[in-house]
Amino acid sequence: MSDASGEQLAVFLSGNRAAFAPGERIEVAVLWALARAPGTIDVRLFWTTRGKGTEDVELVEQARIDATAVAGEERRTFTLPEAPWSFSGKLISLVWGVEVVVASTGRAERCEFVVAPGAEEIRLHEFTTRPAGPG
Amino acid sequence: MLPARDNPFAVHRVLRQRYRLDESGWAALLARLDAQGGRGAIVGPHGSGKTTLLEDLAPRLESRGWRVHVLRISAEERVIPQAFLRQMAPSLGARDALLIDGAEQPGLAAWWSLCLRARRAGALVATVHRPGRLPLLHCCVTSPELLRALVVALGETLGPAEAVALHARHRGNLREALRELYDAAAARGGITSSEAGV
Repeated sequence: MSDASGEQLAVFLSGNRAAFAPGERIEVAVLWALARAPGTIDVRLFWTTRGKGTEDVELVEQARIDATAVAGEERRTFTLPEAPWSFSGKLISLVWGVEVVVASTGRAERCEFVVAPGAEEIRLHEFTTRPAGPG
Repeated sequence: MLPARDNPFAVHRVLRQRYRLDESGWAALLARLDAQGGRGAIVGPHGSGKTTLLEDLAPRLESRGWRVHVLRISAEERVIPQAFLRQMAPSLGARDALLIDGAEQPGLAAWWSLCLRARRAGALVATVHRPGRLPLLHCCVTSPELLRALVVALGETLGPAEAVALHARHRGNLREALRELYDAAAARGGITSSEAGV
């Protein structure tokens, strides 16, 4: 996104969607307008845990953009794996994301999304707090 | 239910909070390190910000031309990694700064052995719970006011009396105090102020 100097680095997902099914292909659009040509921009597909405990992060796939102009737009595609699925409970969530990092400066932007069957995050409490049925 | 990812006290949010030291504080700390021949201990109890301060020290040393190496000694293993002893230690020189997190974990003999191997490093800074292993560089102290400031920075509120009680209950351990607030937020559930756009 834009900073105080007017420089911009942004990442968007295809169709501005925020949820996908496992195995889907996603297109990642990277836009930049920086004071200097960034040289190399890394595009990283990852998942991370969030919550009460230490974060666990896994880099799933990485693509590279050779960005020799001060401003530009590039797209990269990834095929989402079948697992792990996005989920949330009280203590831990698993979140998918795409991060773009300018290799020379470390400047980064990311967007997060859901990967789960039906493109809907699994809520753990729905399985643990549902009242027992008859019998 | 409040999903863990949206809990205002989730670890990824807490870790964004850095050690509260203003520029004059940093200048004094770095001057003290120079005056002590590049040796210093960051001293404080559990949850007082020692590791955070050590992490924040690294880029400041790098910007002054140091090559920074970080060695973490876990409470579970309590040993100095062999890779450090065999590979890194012999290569340390006058512009190398070795930052050790958890220096109280190895026994005294192992600690002095480490110091001997790292003697050529221009700087050696370590976090410890008690003074003694290196000259004092900085003492990490917490307070109810600091706890309140952290809670506010995380987008939540905490009354003064609540802060005093919480701080006392955890004996100044801010990490544990924030964990209690995590549990309280999770139990409360609902929409957080940040989600509501407040």
